[in-house]
Amino acid sequence: MKTTQISAEERKKAFASARKPEVVEKQRLDVRYHVEDIDVKDRPRRFLEAFAAILKHSNYQMALDHYVRMSAKCSRCATTCQVYQATGDLKDIPCYRSELLLSVYRRHFTLGGMLRGRALGSGYLTDEKIQEMADSFWNCTACRRCVNECPSGIDHGLITHLGRYILSEIGIAPRALVVSVREQLEGTSGNTSAIPVPALVDTLEFLSEDMLEDKGVEIPFPLDVEGSDYVFYPAVSDFLMEAETLMGIAAVFKATGDSWTTGTGYFDGINYGLFYSDRMLERILKKIDAETRRLKGKTVLIGECGHASRSAKAFLPTYCGGKDAYPVINIMEYTYDVWKAGRLKLDPNVITEKVAYHDPCNLARQGWIVDKPREILKSFCKNYVEMTPTGIDNICCGGGGGTVSIDEIRSYRTAVGGKLKADQIRKSGAQFLVAPCANCKKQLKELVEDQEIDCEVMGLHDLIYRAIIFPDSMKVKPAEVESGQKGEE
Amino acid sequence: MDALLEFARGPLFRFSLAIMLLGLARVVLLDLSAAYMAYRRAGDKSIPWNWVIRRTLMWFFPVNRIFASRPVYSLFSIIFHVGLLLVPIFLYAHVELWRGAIGFGWWTLPKAVADWLTLAAIVFGLLLLILRISSRASRFLSRKQDFLWPLILLVPFVTGYICANAGVGPAGYRFGMLLHILSAEAIFILLPFTKIAHCVLMPLSQLISALAWKFPAETDDDVCTTLNKKGAPV
Repeated sequence: MKTTQISAEERKKAFASARKPEVVEKQRLDVRYHVEDIDVKDRPRRFLEAFAAILKHSNYQMALDHYVRMSAKCSRCATTCQVYQATGDLKDIPCYRSELLLSVYRRHFTLGGMLRGRALGSGYLTDEKIQEMADSFWNCTACRRCVNECPSGIDHGLITHLGRYILSEIGIAPRALVVSVREQLEGTSGNTSAIPVPALVDTLEFLSEDMLEDKGVEIPFPLDVEGSDYVFYPAVSDFLMEAETLMGIAAVFKATGDSWTTGTGYFDGINYGLFYSDRMLERILKKIDAETRRLKGKTVLIGECGHASRSAKAFLPTYCGGKDAYPVINIMEYTYDVWKAGRLKLDPNVITEKVAYHDPCNLARQGWIVDKPREILKSFCKNYVEMTPTGIDNICCGGGGGTVSIDEIRSYRTAVGGKLKADQIRKSGAQFLVAPCANCKKQLKELVEDQEIDCEVMGLHDLIYRAIIFPDSMKVKPAEVESGQKGEE
Repeated sequence: MDALLEFARGPLFRFSLAIMLLGLARVVLLDLSAAYMAYRRAGDKSIPWNWVIRRTLMWFFPVNRIFASRPVYSLFSIIFHVGLLLVPIFLYAHVELWRGAIGFGWWTLPKAVADWLTLAAIVFGLLLLILRISSRASRFLSRKQDFLWPLILLVPFVTGYICANAGVGPAGYRFGMLLHILSAEAIFILLPFTKIAHCVLMPLSQLISALAWKFPAETDDDVCTTLNKKGAPV
């Protein structure tokens, strides 16, 4: 059998914990991610209380009942899980991970399980089991590739999602995510990167100046324009790390002339709630809804970010008005439509490098956005190559499910989570890897660095920015550019 | 033995059949009622029907997923299931029994096909068990019932095949039939309470999984109230 497993040495490095032994001891929790101070007393009881409360106010019980009745343990998921493929650790098999929570459910929430457990005096939830779940559920990148291979239709991604949610209710959640969400919901900046509005305004002005110099075109980032067709929510970290992606998006809107705006009241598409808490998912989406309402916008436009797109697309209707909720689209859908309509011209001679497209799990797994970006890329990238498997069967970047934001587990992400992806990138020989997702981009950049792959990771709109053709009528004359800049100075 | 055989063919058969049908109806109804409740409380009631139906059909006829993972196991499993489902329902001798009991029958398999399918179910059932034991991952995941089921399921197939095809004499035939019927009845009784319930639950899986992602609209408030966390910081 083909081995994809990492070596013992890589494994040791990947699983090294950054946490101080005394903290591990104090928290009675041996996991690799930092956790804020938690109450260690009565953990099993509190876990079960949280589990019960969540079951009461959700639709998970239906799925759990169904899954415990029919799971056939065929182990087909094992061959699709990139984490298991890299570690070879049987406990990383998706079906085993799901069984951790299903067994608690069976023992404590089904009649048969309770009777058997009482009769045998066994199976009661213990601290050890909680520890195992806390470890296991965050080894998973929530890519949900295993879901495609389960003949029984068990959604292991859903179970991991639920498991993390319950754990978070007893305080076990990666500190990196909790701190970001706290800033987003309760902090003064109101976004996960803690960017104050004046800094945002400065950044956008600076980017516009850059574009004027680059392209000779005045490309604005409209702020707080009421009644715009599109209200824009990128992963807020793009403002710090992915300027070219934002410039590409602004350039597309400049070319089409459609109205779009970014709201200074709220401008963050990131929703870590999708990764660890439905409660936070709801609160964050309500902020998007409120800001769109304030700006009297028509459509919620999410930037290049998989989880931000999926969380808004799938759950804005859930929490904000059902079928009356604002429509949600991803920026690539918009760009595809205007490109298809001939409103966007791209120069086919600019990009000569070998380009490959990486499918973000949250966009591709259920077949939402697969072909559109490829069509655009193939139209202007002469040397486009495909990685296999792709589309709904794509291999995750290895930083999915929020793990990319946990810096202390970088070595795990790039050695274990991203192992298969690294092999795939290497095999493709791509020089430019297009990954239209803030999560994927950060992870893949770290992955190519740690795995020493000669490949540049970027967004779709980064390339579009390089190749976009503006009509001469939009161009500002050189003298005006100069005087404009002098005036600014 | 004749009396026992009569008992197995008569009252015991009716009893086990009733357990199976009622048991399966129970799990299906539980699923459907839970699905209905989930739908009613969902904040977003748009069900991705296209996706659900496509995926459900895909797993009914999983030919295009065979080679995606564990190809040998998957192929064996499909052949095994075909034999397992078709033979008991469409075997001429079985249909004739139904015709005698309820007054009507249905299409039947030609004898040769039925024999080959029986053999296929036996051989591929055993091969599946061997693969389950020999694969490290499968062995690790498997519970007792996962090892036992292939063996239990094979008993009626083996006994049925022998009785129908081998000259075992009247006494041997009766003994074989008794085993055949009793094992089938044991399967009927166990079926709704074990993983084999997937025979009726599988068509609902994709719908259930899709619906489970349709959360109620006020999760935050409700869970906070129940857990006494109202107003607590993030």
